[in-house]
Amino acid sequence: MSEPEPGTTDGTGPTAAVETNTAALDGTNSDLAVHLDGITKRFPGVVANDDVDLRVERGTVHALLGENGAGKTTLMNVLYGLYRPDEGRVVIDGEERTFDSPRDAIDAGIGMIHQHFMLVDPMTVAENIALGNEPTKWFGMAVDRDRIDREVRDLCDRYGFEVDPDATVENVSVGVQQRVEILKALFRGADVLILDEPTAVLTPQEVEGLYDVLEELTAQGKTIIFITHKLEEATHAADAITVLRDGESVGTVDPDRTDREALAERMVGREVILEADSDPVETGDTVLSTRDVTVEDDRGVEVVSGIDLDVRAGEILGIAGVDGNGQAELIEAITGLRLPDEGRINYAGDDITTWSRRRRIENGMAYIPEDRQERGLVMPFDLVENGVLGSQRSGRFASGGRIDWPGVRDHAEEIIETYDVRPPDANADARSFSGGNQQKFIVGREFERDPSLVVATHPTRGVDIGSTEFIHDRLLELRREGVAVLLVSSKLDEIRSLSDRLAVMYEGEFIDVTDPDAVTEEELGLRMAGQRPDGEADRHPNPGESR
Amino acid sequence: MTEVTTMRNSLHRARAALEQRPLAAAVGGVAAVLVVLWATPASWQTSTLRFAVPIALAAIGGIFAEKSGVINIGIEGLLIVSAFSAIVVVDWLGDGGATAGVPNLWWGMLIGVLVSVLFALLFAIVCLEFEADQIIAGLAVWLISLGLAPFASRILFDSPNTANITRFENVTVPVLSELPVVGYLLFDTEPQVYIMLAGAVAGWYLLSRTTFGRWVVASGENPKALDTAGVDVRKVRYAAVLLSGVFAGLGGAGFGLGTLGTFAGTGDTVINGRGFIAIATYLLANYHPIGALLGSFLFAGLNSMQSGLQAAGYAIPTELIRTIPHMSVIVVLVLVGRTRLPDAAGDHYESGED
Amino acid sequence: MRDRLESLAERLARSSVVDRLVISLAALVTAVLIGGVLVFVSGAFASCRTGLELGGATFCYNPMQVYYELFLGALGHPLEGGWTLTNYSLATTLQQTTLLIFTGLSVAVAFRAGLLNIGTQGQLVVGGLATAVTVVYAAAVVPTGFIGALVLIPLGVLAGALAGGVYGAIPGALKAYADANEVITTIMLNIIAVGITSTLLSWQFQDPNSPNPQTAPVPEYAEIPTIPGGFGGGMDFSLLALAFAVALMIGIAWLFARTSFGYELRTSGIQPGAAAYGGVNEKRMTVASMTLSGALGGIGGAFWVLMVHGRWLENVPSLGFDGIAVSVLAGNSPIGVGAAAFLFGIFDSGGNSIKTATDVPPELVGILTGFIILFVAMPEFFRLLGRRYITVDAARPARADGGDAGVDDGGDDDA
Repeated sequence: MSEPEPGTTDGTGPTAAVETNTAALDGTNSDLAVHLDGITKRFPGVVANDDVDLRVERGTVHALLGENGAGKTTLMNVLYGLYRPDEGRVVIDGEERTFDSPRDAIDAGIGMIHQHFMLVDPMTVAENIALGNEPTKWFGMAVDRDRIDREVRDLCDRYGFEVDPDATVENVSVGVQQRVEILKALFRGADVLILDEPTAVLTPQEVEGLYDVLEELTAQGKTIIFITHKLEEATHAADAITVLRDGESVGTVDPDRTDREALAERMVGREVILEADSDPVETGDTVLSTRDVTVEDDRGVEVVSGIDLDVRAGEILGIAGVDGNGQAELIEAITGLRLPDEGRINYAGDDITTWSRRRRIENGMAYIPEDRQERGLVMPFDLVENGVLGSQRSGRFASGGRIDWPGVRDHAEEIIETYDVRPPDANADARSFSGGNQQKFIVGREFERDPSLVVATHPTRGVDIGSTEFIHDRLLELRREGVAVLLVSSKLDEIRSLSDRLAVMYEGEFIDVTDPDAVTEEELGLRMAGQRPDGEADRHPNPGESR
Repeated sequence: MTEVTTMRNSLHRARAALEQRPLAAAVGGVAAVLVVLWATPASWQTSTLRFAVPIALAAIGGIFAEKSGVINIGIEGLLIVSAFSAIVVVDWLGDGGATAGVPNLWWGMLIGVLVSVLFALLFAIVCLEFEADQIIAGLAVWLISLGLAPFASRILFDSPNTANITRFENVTVPVLSELPVVGYLLFDTEPQVYIMLAGAVAGWYLLSRTTFGRWVVASGENPKALDTAGVDVRKVRYAAVLLSGVFAGLGGAGFGLGTLGTFAGTGDTVINGRGFIAIATYLLANYHPIGALLGSFLFAGLNSMQSGLQAAGYAIPTELIRTIPHMSVIVVLVLVGRTRLPDAAGDHYESGED
Repeated sequence: MRDRLESLAERLARSSVVDRLVISLAALVTAVLIGGVLVFVSGAFASCRTGLELGGATFCYNPMQVYYELFLGALGHPLEGGWTLTNYSLATTLQQTTLLIFTGLSVAVAFRAGLLNIGTQGQLVVGGLATAVTVVYAAAVVPTGFIGALVLIPLGVLAGALAGGVYGAIPGALKAYADANEVITTIMLNIIAVGITSTLLSWQFQDPNSPNPQTAPVPEYAEIPTIPGGFGGGMDFSLLALAFAVALMIGIAWLFARTSFGYELRTSGIQPGAAAYGGVNEKRMTVASMTLSGALGGIGGAFWVLMVHGRWLENVPSLGFDGIAVSVLAGNSPIGVGAAAFLFGIFDSGGNSIKTATDVPPELVGILTGFIILFVAMPEFFRLLGRRYITVDAARPARADGGDAGVDDGGDDDA
């Protein structure tokens, strides 16, 4: 096994390649760390990358910008040896390379930080960092744990990371896990780091911290490729931006010389307006209220601590927050998938704390679940069978224990037509539809229940722009009709534009409840990171009593 | 139900505490063992150790397979084929003799392990190459073994039971066997007991101290993390499943040659669910090889106590006594509750899928 | 009606039914081939007077003869002279088919609910004893003759179903409320069932007139009656029982396809998360499906008692284990269970023919069963073979899902 020599493989030193040379953008500079030349990658029926060029100069942050499905990740998987390109060359440090596996890419000094971290949760930070590259002692008979520990500490010192090598990965924050991923790549002697949507799971403050890390890394001669679909991040952090659209490269630009509107149009290929209107509407009676609700997760850890909230007919209450701060468990308690350990839940005048899930459904509670492929749809069932999920015992579709399948079929076809599910085939299995169309079917099924409360969690996650606009419109329409809506989303723009009131959840508690127009995105970000609003200490943070 | 939950929680806490403080656990364990040794008859102790052999070794093998992400429920089958083939080989080479300077018993041991590994290889290929459902494939391995042993026995011996062979004799370690309390137990015993004790220590070392052990754990928890770190998940899983074949083979052959001396092939065969008891054992031990060894003493102790009760002629029906170890498995499973299985256990992993 | 039929045809064509059928048949053929090789090779180790001399070794067994006995012997050798439809071997085959339909359905019901019930064997053992004891004791207070049959047979079947149901509910409850893995608990409960029943037998129910471990016989009129023109007395098989089994099979199929309970059961089996979301109480569903599964196993025990022996014997054949094979081979489809049960009925009856007509150990049947399960568990094996040797593979749609996943930027979400 090759012994990694972290920290010593790059002899460039901190001063070697700090200055940015924009001449690289013209392709005249030969000091390219990575050069992807005419990469084409096809999948059955789709061309994921079509003759894409990418030139990344050493010691810079290079953003790869594009919408979901533009082929960014595919291109990086080619660079990382996970896919072999059908056409084109991969040139690293001026030398053409063929990668059969990530191992080859790692040996060539390339490291990848995946969006979904590739960490083994029950192992320690140090064990994860060394995984697959463990130095050994006693002729390979034992892992040299002291040496791993030493080298990890050296790396942390060098790049200014504050990470405890002995902590278990599942016990550290997401931001730290990301640093562990970066350390893992550095431990293997990576000179080029690929970061796939690195900000997706971070709070705005953690994002700032990440930018600092990137700066430190490039200052020490490392090269960063930064995959993102967020314009601001690309312009903020990158020295150069390559835009991908529909699998093709639409050019590389210098962020200092391009305005954002032009960049946006280049990325999407058309003008984009994402402005949902949410005029204030007359609200009615309280439909849902919780008092002092406390919920434990599967491991018995209290993740929701004493939540009070009220949702009235005709209003949208948004819950913002970084994923994993108890939103999921709170929603499960409200929708009947998890029994709260303390507190009461009232719905339309009844105490429903211990009601079964079915009883809640029958009483007009619609629920768009977070995970449509685990919960919302039965993937091997066709849309007809999925159309009755949740109503399989309701009088509308069943009598005497028998399901009225022709009636269900008509219902499913109606949803497909009204909610524009494509392809419009009720006999097709749910798994054969794209994520956006799956979501439209769920939204249709839930909205057609004639609900008095809609609980929507991340209703547009992974959904294309067109379907997103459609789902937003339907939510606002329901609100106009006097339905109470509880919306959970980690997309700030979505939750700010739709909500009438906005609660920020952090570590199982509501940090603040405000009018979404009264706070800036920065303030919201701070609260999502746990900082309580200044000077508002006298105001009770619970939405139940804030009105 | 709440009482069960309370007991379960205290069990889990105790288990977690033991794992966090290995030194305290070791001291406490030794103390507890000494008390048990002082309080129980020597004959029960020796027979417990012998009955523990197939359970402990099969459990340790099962730990490796399951930790790597392959649930090997066919381990019962591996015990059957290894015990059977070991006895057949000894009978064929000549009971009590030696071949090429090596006693035939040891040839039986070797072949028993090889046959077990062969079956483990079959299981590994079926699961890793052809994406078979691990549980069903494991059941199939069990059923095939269940049919094959008596089938072969009828051809060779005209009966579902094999001939009798002379079993392993005690090996006495000089000086150490004179130690008070544990000497006669640990240093004046049969070879398969030494193998079990050494196997438990080796299993623990391999799993917790070597590179391979870490890869096994990563392969079961997050194979993609291991794959992207440049390690071939499939090779790790193959190695782990074959290793489960080695351990189960040692357990089965050791049990056959040291304790049974003949293989009875009727019904569930003489192995009689010991492989499944082994699975319950490692769940109880939370995948810790030393814990699995201690856990196997629990079931083996009940097993030998049952023999003792029968011999003492208590009025309890023998048929019911015989099920005591099996009932205790259910009690243990209820107390353990859902053990946190490795995240990717039971799932096929295909490198490169996204 | 017409378009309903059309849509049914469409669904059949598109779904994996054909795929399944091909895989099951391929598994059967492969297992038979392997079994043939095994028989031939093991013949070299057996001793015999005549055999095939090859390379210095004597191969005693002829696989063709073995399979002739297995498959045609089970039907009573229809190609030989003097064959009648109602022969003893065919009666045995159909008798086993009937019983295996019950146990196969038992396993299939649990399977479809996502539970692997290895415990059908124990449920059958317990149910059978309950049936025998109930009928023997009730016969004392019930009139004899036709009225007696009308009361005792349903009562016996009900007792079997109840006892089997309760014995199946135990691992269900342990799974639902204590998270105990049902595969291991049911295997343990099988062994425990043997212990409990034989203890009960020696304690209370042993037939005083017999040295063998068995209960007193049920009255003759309480055995499942045969119908005129069917398989006559002494063959221990009744077409009425088979008809009941087939009706039950259709009933279970209807339950799955048409009822709310069936829909919830299938959803729980495929995606527990979606079932919970859809308002299914998972714990109750676990207990309910295991109870139903156990009841079916218990009915199997009831028919074993009332049709085959007329009493409960300690040595219960492995009908429950074979039920696993039946269900696996049938792809857990209730209708498929019928066909698979017939195949394994042939195995059981043909096993007897092998025993009488050849020297090959009848345990061969168990090995074949194991291999069939093994090959059914690995459909990918046959798909790979199919892809290699059959170039046109139009039946399967192009793997659109795989392609999608590739370009969906890793299926990421833009949170």
